[in-house]
Amino acid sequence: MPCRVLIVDDHPGFRAQARALLAAAGYEVVGEAADGESGVRVARDLSPDVVLLDVQLPDISGFEVVRQVHSEPSPPAIVLISSRDAADYGGRIRRCGARGFISKADLSASALTAVLGTGCPR
Amino acid sequence: MTRRRWWLLTLAVVCAGWALGGEWVSIHRGVPENHLLDLLGGLAFLAGGIIILDRRPGNAIGPLMIAYGIIWYFGNWGNLNVPVLPLLGTSLGQWAGTPILAQIALSYPTGRLRTRFDRAVTGLLYAGAIAINVAILLVFDPRSSGCRACAWEPAPFPSRSAFLVATSAYQHAGAVLAVFFFAAVWLHWRNATPAERRDLAPLWVAVCVIAIIYLLGAFASPFPLAGPFAYLMWELQTLFQIALPVIFVWGLLSARLARSAVGDLMVELDQPLPPGELQSSLSRTLRDPSLELLYALDERDRWVNARGQHRSLPPPGQGNQARTVTLVERDGQPLAALIHDPALDPGLVRAAAAAAGIAIENERLHAEVQAQLEEVRASRQRIVAAGDRERRRVERNLHDGAQQRLATLALSLAMLRDHDGTDPATADALAQALAELRQAIDELRELARGIHPAILTEEGLPAAVESLADRSPLPVRIAADFDTRLPEPTETAAYFVVSEALANVAKYAHASRAQVELSRCNGTLRVEVVDDGVGGADPARGSGLRGLADRVSAMRGSFAVETPPGGGTRVLAEIPCDA
Repeated sequence: MPCRVLIVDDHPGFRAQARALLAAAGYEVVGEAADGESGVRVARDLSPDVVLLDVQLPDISGFEVVRQVHSEPSPPAIVLISSRDAADYGGRIRRCGARGFISKADLSASALTAVLGTGCPR
Repeated sequence: MTRRRWWLLTLAVVCAGWALGGEWVSIHRGVPENHLLDLLGGLAFLAGGIIILDRRPGNAIGPLMIAYGIIWYFGNWGNLNVPVLPLLGTSLGQWAGTPILAQIALSYPTGRLRTRFDRAVTGLLYAGAIAINVAILLVFDPRSSGCRACAWEPAPFPSRSAFLVATSAYQHAGAVLAVFFFAAVWLHWRNATPAERRDLAPLWVAVCVIAIIYLLGAFASPFPLAGPFAYLMWELQTLFQIALPVIFVWGLLSARLARSAVGDLMVELDQPLPPGELQSSLSRTLRDPSLELLYALDERDRWVNARGQHRSLPPPGQGNQARTVTLVERDGQPLAALIHDPALDPGLVRAAAAAAGIAIENERLHAEVQAQLEEVRASRQRIVAAGDRERRRVERNLHDGAQQRLATLALSLAMLRDHDGTDPATADALAQALAELRQAIDELRELARGIHPAILTEEGLPAAVESLADRSPLPVRIAADFDTRLPEPTETAAYFVVSEALANVAKYAHASRAQVELSRCNGTLRVEVVDDGVGGADPARGSGLRGLADRVSAMRGSFAVETPPGGGTRVLAEIPCDA
C-alpha cells in the first residue's frame, strides 16, 4: 500500500511539482492545502501518513500547524519544507516535533526517504 | 506713614489702653492672679492681630485675634461696679473666646472657613457660647456664689442650681464639639496638598496647645478663686494662651519669610546654573518639591522640559492632585510655565519668576536646542527603523517570490533529469543546469540573509548570533546571559554589530578565534566581540564600522572599537533595550 502524503504550501506551482515528483516516486498524494488552518483540517479529515509542510504560510506558521496536528490522536509524520535554509530557523525545527526538514530546491523521493527512513511511517 | 498705618497705630493705642485699663482694675480690686501673665495673654492676641492686619490685610484671622484679645479683658473690667460690665465680664469674658479661637484655627491660614463641616463646627461653637451667655444673663446671681460685696444688678430669675446645670451642660456639649473640631483639623490635613501641609504645620502646634489649654480647663473650676489647684490651672491656661498668637503670626508670616528666599534666588542666579538646575532652584525658593518648569517652543501650545522632552500643561486637578499653572511671559508671548501647588502665594510665585527672568530665557533657549536635538535623534531612529522595515520587506519578497519560483524550477529540472525517457546527453545538461540553479538559490539565500536574517525574527538574538558563529570560518564562542526576546530594533542593531564585527575578524584580523558576549543590565544590552588577531580596526576608516556606530548612536547607544595592549580587537556596543 503506497504512502499517503498531504502537501501544505501556499505556492500552487510548487504543490503541482511536488505532487508530480512524489507520485512518480510511488507516493500517493491524498490532498493539498494552501494555508495552515485548512492544512490542520485536511490532515484531520484524511489522516495521511506524511504531511509535507511549508514553514512560512499566509495565516499561521508551519510550527503552529505542527503543534495543532500533533495534538490529534495518532498524528502523521510531518516533514517541514522551506525555500530558506534549516539554519535560518535555528533550533525551532528540532524542537517543534517535526520528523525533519528538506529545503524546497532539494526535495526528492530520496531526500524524503532519508528523512522518513525506509517504509511508510504508519 | 500711610493713612492705613495711622489707623493701625490708633487701634494699637486703643487696644493697649483697654488692656492696661482692665489690668489696672484687676490690680486695684485686688484680684488674686498673676497680673503680668494676664496682661501678656491678652496683649499677645491684640499685638498679633494688629501685625496680621498690617501684613495680611483682608485675612479674617487678624480681626478675630483682636476680638479675642478685647474679650480677654472683659473679665478684668467686670470687677468695676459699673452697671452691665460685671455681667459682661462673667458672660463674654469667660465664654465667648472659645468659638473665636476655633474659627481662627479652622480658617487658618486663609482666614476663610472653606468647607461646610468647618462652618458647621464653628457655627455650633458660637451657638453654644450664645446659649451659655443667655443663661448667665437670665439666672446668674453672683451673691449666690458667695460674693456678698458684689452689688450687681440681679438677673431676672436668679438660680444657682440653674446656673450650674447650664455650665455643666455647656461643658459636656463642648467636649463633643471638641471632637468635631479635631476631626475638622484632621480633614484639613488629609485633603491638603504638600505645600498646604507645610503651611498647616503651625496649626498642628497650635491645636496641641489648644488641647492642653482645654485639658487644663477640664480640671479647673469655673471659679479660679475656688482653691489653689484651680488657680494654678487658670494661670497655666493663660501661659499656654500666650503661645497661640505667636504661633499663628509666625505661621502666617512665614510666606513673608519666603519672599526673602527670592532674594537668595537672585544671588544664586548671579552665577550661571547648569542646565535643568533652575527648576530645582525655584522649587527650593518656593518650597514646593512638586514644582515643574516648562518652556514654550515657538510653535503655539508646545511645551518642553529643560531636557527638551515634550510635555503638556496639566489640567487643574482636585484635592491633593491640584496644580496651578503660572505663565511667565515676555511681550505678551509665553516664555515658560511654572506648574505648582495651588496653595503657593501667587505674588510670591510671580516674584520668583521675575527674579529668574534672564535665567528662564537662557534655559528656554537651551531647552529649545535640546528639543531640536531630540527631534533629530528621533528622526534618525525613525530612519533606521524604516530601513529595517524595508530590509525585512525585501527579504520577505525574495522568499515569497524569486526563491519560491527557483525552488519550483529546481524540482521541474530534477524531474526532467530523472524521467525515464530523457536521453543521457539531455540528462547531463539538465543535471548541470540544476547544479547551477542550486548554486544560484544558495547565493540568493545568502543575499536574503544578509538583507535581513529570518532567524532573528523567528528565534531572537542569541539564536541568530549562534547561526552567525556557525557560518564563521573561525571558531566563535558565544556567551549570552538571557534567552528572552528583546525589542526588535535592539535585536536588529545588536545582530548587525556582531555580524559586521565577525565579518571583519574573518577578513582582516588574522585571528585564530573570537568571542561574542551578550549581556543585559539596567535596561541596556551590552554586545562585546573580541578576537585575538592583529588589531588595528578603525571605525573612522571602514564604512561598515562607521555605519554601525551611526546605527547604535541613533538608538542612543554607545559604540567603541578598541585594540587592547595584548593585541586583538574589541568591539563594544551598548544599546538601550527600551528603544
